[in-house]
Amino acid sequence: MNALAKDLNTLISSNRVRTDPEDLFAYSNDATFYFKKSMPDAVVLPESSEEVAHILKYAFHREIPVTPRGAGSGLSGGCTPVHGGIVIDMKRMRRVLELDRSNMTSEVEAGVVLSNFHRTVEKMGLFYPPDPQSMSVCTIGGNVATRAGGPRGVKYGTTERYVLGLEAVLSDGSIIKCGSKSVKNSAGYDITHLMTGSEGTLGVITKATLRLLSLPAARKTMVVICETTDQAAAIISEIIARGMVPAVLEFLQRGAVGLMNYYISPPLVADAEAYLLLQVDGTAAQVEAESAGIKDFCLQMKVRDVRIIEDEREAGSYWEARSALHPLIMRVFKRIITEDVSVPRNLLPEMVGSLTELSAALGINIGFSGHAGDGNVHPSILFAEVSPEMEEKAKAAVDLIIKKAIDLGGTISGEHGIGIHKSEYLPWQLGDVQIDLMKRIKNSFDPKNIMNPGKIWPEGDELRQ
Amino acid sequence: MRLENYAEALEKCSHCGFCQATCPVYLEDLLETHLTRSRINLIRSALIDKSLPVTRRVKEIINRCLLCTNCTHTCPGGLPCDEIIAAARAELGGKSGSAGAVKKFILRRVLNKRGLAGIMSRVGSTIQKLNIVKAEVPTLAAKPFDSIYSGTISPKGKIRSRVAYFVGCASNYIYPDTGEAVVKVLVHNGVEVIIPQGQVCCGLPAMAEGDLETARNSVSVNMKILAGMQVDAIVTDCTSCGMMLKVKAAKVLPGDDPLQNQVKAVSEKIWEAADYLNTLGLQDQPGPLNERYTYHVPCHRAWAPTIVDSPRHLLSAVSGSELVEMENPGKCCGAGGSFFMENRQLSERIRSHKLEDIAATGAGTVITQCPSCRFYLGVKLKDRKVMHPLFFLAKSYGLV
Ligand SMILES: Cc1cc2nc3c(=O)[nH]c(=O)nc-3n(C[C@H](O)[C@H](O)[C@H](O)COP(=O)(O)OP(=O)(O)OC[C@H]3O[C@@H](n4cnc5c(N)ncnc54)[C@H](O)[C@@H]3O)c2cc1C
Ligand code: SF4
Ligand code: SF4
Repeated sequence: MNALAKDLNTLISSNRVRTDPEDLFAYSNDATFYFKKSMPDAVVLPESSEEVAHILKYAFHREIPVTPRGAGSGLSGGCTPVHGGIVIDMKRMRRVLELDRSNMTSEVEAGVVLSNFHRTVEKMGLFYPPDPQSMSVCTIGGNVATRAGGPRGVKYGTTERYVLGLEAVLSDGSIIKCGSKSVKNSAGYDITHLMTGSEGTLGVITKATLRLLSLPAARKTMVVICETTDQAAAIISEIIARGMVPAVLEFLQRGAVGLMNYYISPPLVADAEAYLLLQVDGTAAQVEAESAGIKDFCLQMKVRDVRIIEDEREAGSYWEARSALHPLIMRVFKRIITEDVSVPRNLLPEMVGSLTELSAALGINIGFSGHAGDGNVHPSILFAEVSPEMEEKAKAAVDLIIKKAIDLGGTISGEHGIGIHKSEYLPWQLGDVQIDLMKRIKNSFDPKNIMNPGKIWPEGDELRQ
Repeated sequence: MRLENYAEALEKCSHCGFCQATCPVYLEDLLETHLTRSRINLIRSALIDKSLPVTRRVKEIINRCLLCTNCTHTCPGGLPCDEIIAAARAELGGKSGSAGAVKKFILRRVLNKRGLAGIMSRVGSTIQKLNIVKAEVPTLAAKPFDSIYSGTISPKGKIRSRVAYFVGCASNYIYPDTGEAVVKVLVHNGVEVIIPQGQVCCGLPAMAEGDLETARNSVSVNMKILAGMQVDAIVTDCTSCGMMLKVKAAKVLPGDDPLQNQVKAVSEKIWEAADYLNTLGLQDQPGPLNERYTYHVPCHRAWAPTIVDSPRHLLSAVSGSELVEMENPGKCCGAGGSFFMENRQLSERIRSHKLEDIAATGAGTVITQCPSCRFYLGVKLKDRKVMHPLFFLAKSYGLV
């Protein structure tokens, strides 16, 4: 046993400290495995905030890098331990500590799996809207750390909107409680929302107090079969401009529907160029009126067909398919690089137009199915073959996509976070002054730079394989 | 089932991590290393690229898997995860360990030969002597099924269809009463049942051990017998035997094996018995049974689309009885064939959740098609009855 393992064994029960090479290997990346792998020196699996504090106190003293990890479903390399050190796997902190019906709040440990939380609150007629499509596995801690969003973002916003308070362990091992259960809070700087989206670089989130809504009484799933991509993009902009607010408004290309048909039952005709997948929710009367309104409008726009999916099992199969879309792509392609740009919603047609041009100009396949109602396009570079030439083209495409999004007044990341994947682009959007400000904030939280170092802005060679 | 044949499939893993939602071993251990995604990665690096050494820990990770196929059902990339893991075991020369020799003996000498009741009792005592596990070893029935039933059993009236009954090892040696119920219920419903002579173990236990040679021998004996039969269907009451015969048999044999045509012919006729009867339709209305039952869906269920719902439909015909669904009926019970004998603590933890879900239903009877589940749950459900859906039906007809 090495010295690090020996030390950690004194802090936390030895079966929850792992240093076998095979274990370190398993913790060397997230869902962006092709981008960068890097083994930690140890993995620990704490079961309480106090254990996390013990580990950080030790790491702080020894100046050992620490990378928090949830489910490792991230799409930015956020939990890849690029400078080695200790990975803290949070999945054993998985208790729902409180469900406060009278205040419509809940306190959870960071490792709670999102869909388990959904099930728990929905049984009580409550609703937690954030729905990143990895929800069957991703953790609330990971969601808070990345400000995760999902299809419901178009109506309900992303995770940050639901975070009322946090418990976090800072780099020196001190435990802070920020925010509170109260819906209003003007007490000093908003540390809660600074930790939210901090991608593990400011501390380890151990608990979150979340705001809940009432579960909508009714929901309806709709599919709009469009004639062209331009038509679909125009409809999205128009729906938003007219003040219609579906709970979900997703854009799908032909290829995506073809793949989703592995799940959709009965399958959807997959020969149209573009589709919209919608959900409306509210009271039964609202749902009726809204779905009818959207249907009429789409028919006026001369789409090919609008289908309201009445059968619950069938509707469920659409959402299961939507959730699986990203990994489904691997059935056809050899690699996917998913970007996460988001633009003002009225400029969506322009963003989509430039993606089409770009893919023609470079001769590569760029998919852009996904959230769209919120302007978050998710262009995906699809590799038919993995070759140095293709990698070069992909890099060029990503550069151009990011430039375009910034030019349109958008952002380089709508919901996945920066991690290592987008760190080289952050200065393009924020400029040196803001990056410098962020670095100074980080420094005051983490003076020894042990918290997830190498993320958000590059520090050395962490981008290299 | 050569690992090299899976090298391409393995690259379809996007590392999405969705397998975390259903891998029962991961859900207990909560360690990334014991997740399908990591097993696949490790198999690639240690056994294909050979960039990592094959250590004891590598073997442990590859063996700490129930081959329950839940990851395969969940994986959006369509990876045959369980086959990749089974192929890795074969590549490593099979699982080894204290129980290895006994298992090999059982697999090669006993389950691949029928009608040797004497040997079976010797096996039983060998297992007990070796103390593989103290309490939880199935006891063998006094008389195996094949010593009670053989030949063709015809219905009294018109013959609606003819089936061959593939008698799995469990129904032969441990639960002959299930085999009896299957025959009686089918015959009662106008199905002529033929019990083919010379059939042996389906080969799945050997495949799971990484002993492909034994698995191939089983497959070839069975296929030679089953392929030539003039029947409408081949039924089995065991979802695992069914999976083996329907989809895995073709994979344990080399792609160009001359037997592949026969395997294909057999595969097209394989049915789980309750599914078959449900699809055929009952001829005779079952009698009333005053019974609240719940239904545990076995893991090896994806080889035919109607397996899962067939017991629900079939037993709804029994008046007076009521199905009380448990939370997540398809969650693994922890048995994994004989996995529970070697990974006792882990399996017990997996089972404990299932037992809670069953208890919460308040049902007095648990229905499930898989004999391994029936045994492993039954050990702890002394106050409840655990049975195959056709046994339930046999009771309602008053046939058993
Ligand atoms: C198929 C697929 C679909 C996806 N769909 C969406 C989507 O629709 N919307 C979306 O927003 N994202 C999506 N994602 C990305 C990803 O699932 C989210 O970013 C999710 O929030 C990550 O959660 P996790 O638990 O897996 O975190 P990880 O990947 O383990 O970590 C993510 C980041 O958070 C940090 N972190 C994790 N836990 C903590 C903690 N307790 N304290 C401090 N820092 C922590 C890590 O250090 C890392 O920087 C998808 C991913 C996949 C694979
Ligand atoms: S679900 Fe499939 S594709 Fe996703 S990580 Fe697991 S094995 Fe890989
Ligand atoms: S077969 Fe079962 S135990 Fe093995 S990796 Fe897949 S889900 Fe986990």
